[in-house]
This record gives sequence, C-alpha cells and structure tokens, in this order.
Amino acid sequence: MSFPTTLQVCRECGGGAPIDVHFCPQCAKILSLTRHGDYFDFFGLPRKLNLDLSDLEQRFRTLSRQFHPDFFYNATPAERLASLERSSYLNDGYRTLHQPISRMEYLLKIEGLAPKGPDEASRQVPPALLEEVFALNEELDDVREMRASGALADAWKARLQRARKPIDARRIEHEAQLQELAARWDGLDAAAPDAERRDVLAALRDRFLERTYITNLLAGIERELETA
Amino acid sequence: MSRVVGIDLGTTNSLVACVTDAGPVVIRDKSGDALVPSVVSAAADGTMYVGREAERRLLTDAQRTVYSVKRFMGKSRQDVQDEARHFPFRITGAPGASDESGGGVVRIGLGDREFTPPEISALVLRELKHRAETYFAAEGDLDPEVDRAVITVPAYFNDAQRTATRDAGRIAGLEVLRIINEPTAASLAYGLDKRHAGLIAVYDLGGGTFDISILRVEDGVFQVLSTNGDTHLGGDDIDVLLMDRVLADISSTAPAVPVVSGVPAPGRGTGSRTPEMIQQIRKAVIQAKWDLSEREETHVTVVAQDLSPAYTKRITRADFESLIQPIVDRTLGPCRQALADAGLEPSQIDEVVLVGGSTRIPLVRRAVATLFGQTPHSELNPDEVVALGAAVQADILMTGNRTMLLLDVTPLSLGIETLGGVVSKIILRNSTIPATGSEMFTSGVDNQTAVDIHVLQGERELVSDNRSLARFKLSGIPPMPAGMPRVQVQFQIDANGILSVTARELRTDVEQTIDVKPSYGLTDEEVERMLLESFEHAEADFAARLLIEARNEAENVIHATEKTLRSADFAAIDASELEPGERTRIESVLGGLEMVLNSSDRETIQKWTQALNDATQHLAEVAMNRSVKAALSGRNVDEI
Repeated sequence: MSFPTTLQVCRECGGGAPIDVHFCPQCAKILSLTRHGDYFDFFGLPRKLNLDLSDLEQRFRTLSRQFHPDFFYNATPAERLASLERSSYLNDGYRTLHQPISRMEYLLKIEGLAPKGPDEASRQVPPALLEEVFALNEELDDVREMRASGALADAWKARLQRARKPIDARRIEHEAQLQELAARWDGLDAAAPDAERRDVLAALRDRFLERTYITNLLAGIERELETA
Repeated sequence: MSRVVGIDLGTTNSLVACVTDAGPVVIRDKSGDALVPSVVSAAADGTMYVGREAERRLLTDAQRTVYSVKRFMGKSRQDVQDEARHFPFRITGAPGASDESGGGVVRIGLGDREFTPPEISALVLRELKHRAETYFAAEGDLDPEVDRAVITVPAYFNDAQRTATRDAGRIAGLEVLRIINEPTAASLAYGLDKRHAGLIAVYDLGGGTFDISILRVEDGVFQVLSTNGDTHLGGDDIDVLLMDRVLADISSTAPAVPVVSGVPAPGRGTGSRTPEMIQQIRKAVIQAKWDLSEREETHVTVVAQDLSPAYTKRITRADFESLIQPIVDRTLGPCRQALADAGLEPSQIDEVVLVGGSTRIPLVRRAVATLFGQTPHSELNPDEVVALGAAVQADILMTGNRTMLLLDVTPLSLGIETLGGVVSKIILRNSTIPATGSEMFTSGVDNQTAVDIHVLQGERELVSDNRSLARFKLSGIPPMPAGMPRVQVQFQIDANGILSVTARELRTDVEQTIDVKPSYGLTDEEVERMLLESFEHAEADFAARLLIEARNEAENVIHATEKTLRSADFAAIDASELEPGERTRIESVLGGLEMVLNSSDRETIQKWTQALNDATQHLAEVAMNRSVKAALSGRNVDEI
C-alpha cells in the first residue's frame, strides 16, 4: 500500500519525487535511497502473495539495467553511491520476493505482524500443535533410550520415521491452509474493511509461525536420523 | 586518454586483454606468446625477473624464485603450513606476529627480502601493465599508459582473498576498476558472439583453483544463480601427485633421503634433492601431463645434474587417469551443490562451458560430460577466455554500454559471532551483489560506549569452522543505561564482492566509528608503504629486458619444435615427407639453441633461434598442410 502523498527528495536538484520512482522527474538523476517504499513498491508490484515469477524476474532485469553500479562508474560520487544503494535494495528485494516463504514473512513484517523476536517461532510451541509436539517428544525420548541401550539402528530409525508421520501430515495440511489464506489476501480489494484485512493477516501469521515451528521440528528429526 | 585492460591473474599464468574496434583481444608479446607465467625471481644482484625468464630460473636458482603465489593470497601462515613443503621458497608468518588466528599474513622469502603475496602478485601485474603499454605504444597511441584494470579472481575467493588481489593491483600502480569472477568473465566472452538465452554451467579448473558457476542468460543479463568451488584444487595438485610418484621411484633406487622438501636442511648433504632437481621433476611431469591430453602414453624424463642415471619412465593415459581420478572427483561435489542451490537438475542446463588449462585433460572432459549429460563447449581457448571477458567488463565500465550486464553473487555467507561461538548469518551465500544486511546491537552494561564485533565468512555453525574476516570495535556509543542503545550495523558487499561496514546509533542518529582490523589482510597504510617501496626497486634494465625477450622467443621456437617432434603423427611425416637427414639436422640445431639459451649473449641466442626457424620451416609447412587437409576433409588432426 503506497501513499501518493509521500515524497522522496532529490539531493541533486532538491525537487520532490513520488516514492516509487528511481530517477528524479525534474533533473533525471538517479535518486539516493533516503525515503523509499517497501520491496513491492520498489518493483512496482501490488502487495500480493502470489506473484508471477517471470514478471518479477523481468522487472528485476529491467531495473538492474537502470541502476547497476557498472553503469555509473564515471558518474559523480553521489550518483555512484545512489546506484550502489538502489542496486543493493533491488537485489535484497528480489531475493526476498522470489521465495514464497520469505515473501510471506516480509508481507507480515511490513503489515506490522512480524514475529516479536527472531526466536519467537522456534521457542514457543504454537497452541494448535501442543498435542502433536507432546506426543513426538515422548517418542523422541524413547528413541534416545533405545539408542542408548544399543538397539539396532534399523529399529530406532523405523520408530523415528513412524513418530514423524503425524507431523508430516500436519505440514501438508498447513501448506494448503497457507495457500488458501494467501489467495484470500490477494482477493481483498482496496475497499475491503480493515477488520477483514486484519483477520486474514492474523490467521496467516499463526499458520506461518506454526509452519516455521514444524519445519524446525522436522529438521531436528532429520539430524537425529543422520547421527547414526 | 590512458587505457584500460582486463587481467586474468592466474595461479600458473597471467594474461592481459583489451577491447579493440574488432572486439576483445589478448595482448601478446613480440613472439606471439599470450601467457606470462606467474613466476617472480630475484637475482643475487637484486634484479627482479618476472614471467618466462623467472620460470627458467626455477631450474637454475629455485630458492630465489616464487610461483603459484595465488595460493597464498589472503592466507595466514597456519593456513599454508601443510603445503609449504612442496615449494622451494621460504614461507613464513609476519615478523613477530603471534596472532591467535595463526601468525598474520604469509610472508614469502625472495632473495634477501620478504614479501607479502600481494607484493609478489603486484610484480606480475606490473609486467602485464608493461606488456599492454608496449602494445598500445606500438599501435601508435599517444597516451599508452595503462592505469586502470579489471582483475579476475576465482568465484569462490573469500573477502580476504579478493581484498589481497585488489591490494596487489594498487601496489602495481593500477586503479582496480572491478574485481570479477573468472567463470562469469568467461561466460561474458562466450556470450559475445551468441546472443542466446538459457541456463549455462561454467566449469573452471585452473592451475590452483576450481570454480563452478550456474548462470541464467536472458536479454543480455548474465545472472549468476549459484556458485561453488574449492580455492585449493587444480593442476598444481596433479603435478604434486606425479612428482611424489617420481620422487618415490628415485628414492627406491637411490640412497634413502627424507621426504620431499623444497629447501634442503643444512647438513643433509648434497647430491640428493636440490630445489633445482625438484623443479626439473616438476617440469618433466607437467610436460608428461600435457602430452597425455593428446596421446595415449608418454615418458617422464628427468635429466638433472644431481641425478645419475637420468630418470625415465613410461606412463600411460590409463595410469595417469587412475592417479588423478580422486582430484577430478573432488570437483563433482561442488558442481552438485551449485546445481542444488540454483534449484536445478543437471539435465536442465542448456550449455556447459569449460575454462582453465586443466580442462584440456580428457578425463576432466568426460567427467563433466557425464555429470551434465552433454558435450561441453571448448571453442574458445580455455587459457584466454577469462582475460577476454575481463576486457569486455572493463569496456562496459568505461563506456557505460548497457547491452550486457553481469549480475554476480557472493560465494560464501557472511555472519557475525554471537554468544557461545555461534555464527549468526547476515547475508546468505549466492545472494546477488551488491547486497546489504544489517544487525542491531546494544550494550550489556550501563554507559558502555564500545562493542566488539567479529565478522566471519563461511557456511558452518561454529565460529571456529569459518573464515575470520575482521574484528571491529564499534565505539562512540552515547552513554546510556544497558540495553538502551540501538546500534544498527550495516554490512555492504559491493559489486566486487568486498565487504564494508558502517554503523549508526538510531536513538541519537550518531554515526559510529569503526576500527577495522583485518584478520588476514593488509592495512591501508601497509599497502601505501608497499606502493612506495615498489618504486624503489628497479626492474631489469633495458639490456636485460632485450635479453629476456630474445630468450622468450627462443623458448617459443623450441617449444613449437618439440611439440611437433613429439606429436603422434610425426613418425608418419618423417617417413613420407621429410628429406633424409632433415630430422637429424633439426634435432642438432634444437640442441644447439638449448645449449646457448641460458647464456647472456643475446646475439648468439638470436642467431640460433633464426637457425632453428630456418631448419624447421619445411617441417612447419608439411605439418600445416596436413592440418589444412584434415580440416577440409572434416576430420580432427589427431585422427589422421
């Protein structure tokens, strides 16, 4: 969501420019990256979760051609810096928007719903998962005991594989829910009531945190399996 | 206006190229040689020799001659301990350094002085600069001075190695326009005549380093998707395997001597392994390695003063391949990782490009073909393609021409040390550069004004398993209660893949001072001092240079003649097309030129060179006719 009243100021000529342009409309110089919109604004894309990747890639190439440092080698120091800043922001944005998961995390962040700390997702057991996590932990303890008492690798590995089945199932369920919510978010138009937007985002956030938790959990099991 | 060039600063050889109206060209010396061996030698009188002449001196004065210095760029003494034994020159740490990270920057003894690897590389760069200036002057340029260059590095070089390369350029008096990655440069050279779109894998196995890069080319944008490699894997390793085998053979037939050592310990006795003999062996195994790319078998022949009788042993391509198989296999893991990082299967790659001299080895080609399920490209000379690409990039930077654009990535993740010796990653590997990342810091106690930050590069969890890049002291934080300051540290990787750091306290909006202590690099002051010192050391004077040129030319003729005499179809030529006694005459003139080659009588060398040229003229014509015929009949020369 961009605010047309928000301006960036050209350091070259002092003129104002809309937030989502890269070159000053008055003097045509590359704008330094002082006030800028989010990655969606920067690419000229709506704030949606389903993006056409080939369109994103095309925009990325076009913008790279406009302000890569290669093309500002003989420019003034200010323009060179602006080109470096803008290219870095473009590359960081491309990386973030290209992957569906980092795109979703980024959307939550700019909508003010980012996880509070970097570890929030991995530390707290999401309430909806309590039952499965409890069961899994018991299974993991048993497996560790089996290993400690010298059980055959095949035996405890089979046990571990069985233990992760319900979690795997949950993950698949989650992916479907996330996709459905993403489609709902993308379908909201500008006139949609704020409350509805908040509802969709809050649901997205909960599913997203659960997803992160499940991913970490599965990675933990993978590690147990590998340390045979 | 002064000129710009592209430089491939290689482990074994270096090249310089420029863009002309007709496109990019490699700049050759008078005798047509494009390669400048990356070898530096200091004579007893203090004269520095670089290139072919220095390479020759390996056989006569090995301990005063340095090669493969690229392997030491951005390294500490500790890093190179294991392989130091393979080199004839002294390798030490910084004087008096007892840094926890391993003795500071490597120092290399050259004659009576000690140099850092960037200083030695700077001597090679200066030779290339000189070569380019001579060329531009001959072209009639009013201002032939070369003061700016694009220099290539292996894609998998870390920040310390890139910085060391940039320092070398500065010490040589060059403004380094850009550091670019070798495989990417190669793709640029390949992309010139073919404006195709698609997925390209560049497999680059050079003298000392291995890189694999996966690129997507579209609308003239060369976007690297992923890169991987090993900065310590290349033709040098193959040479060492072969040398170890020869040395083992020699030991078993001669009085027992200790393990390979470049520098004989005092009192070990003479007549065993002098550094010069080791270099004779090295030269012989390299020749055998080259032969085996074209033939099924050859002989390793070592003739050295201290070796009696001379050593000679047959080696077949099959022997050679089983010996080097482990080295070739080591390149496959990085290839698979790069594909996985790009989210691709080998079969999705549209084209595979080979770069680096070691990709002439048939086993390497087969391994690449098998992995990607297609025959790799090798139309362009694998030795020259990187320099050509660097010249193209230099031209883009100077002219602002937007038809082509390289978008490269950072090969290694960048992170900082957090509690418990764990690395927190800030910029992930394979991020398109330039890239930024930031991290928030605060204070642990009231009124704390400084924070220590340790920056690392690598993929591992623990600090100790990653490469330490630098330690920063972040100071000037306004006094506040513990936890109140919000210091945002911004990491910027520029288009060279080199890191810089800035910091700002957000509550007060005060820019913070950062005191950089590179873990393995040189400070700006050190680079400045080296720049000054390098001017004080006179290079070979004019007469010496003329002598060197004469020797280079002689050596080229010798090399070309030997190559023809050793070629697979020479026996057929000799039998059917040479006159009786022609071969003997060629061999005797060849022997004569070899004898005078190391004398310092330029005129005699030139006379013998001319004699060999004359003696081989007919042979050269015959060989040329055969290749023309072969080309016309659509067959490979080797098949005749």
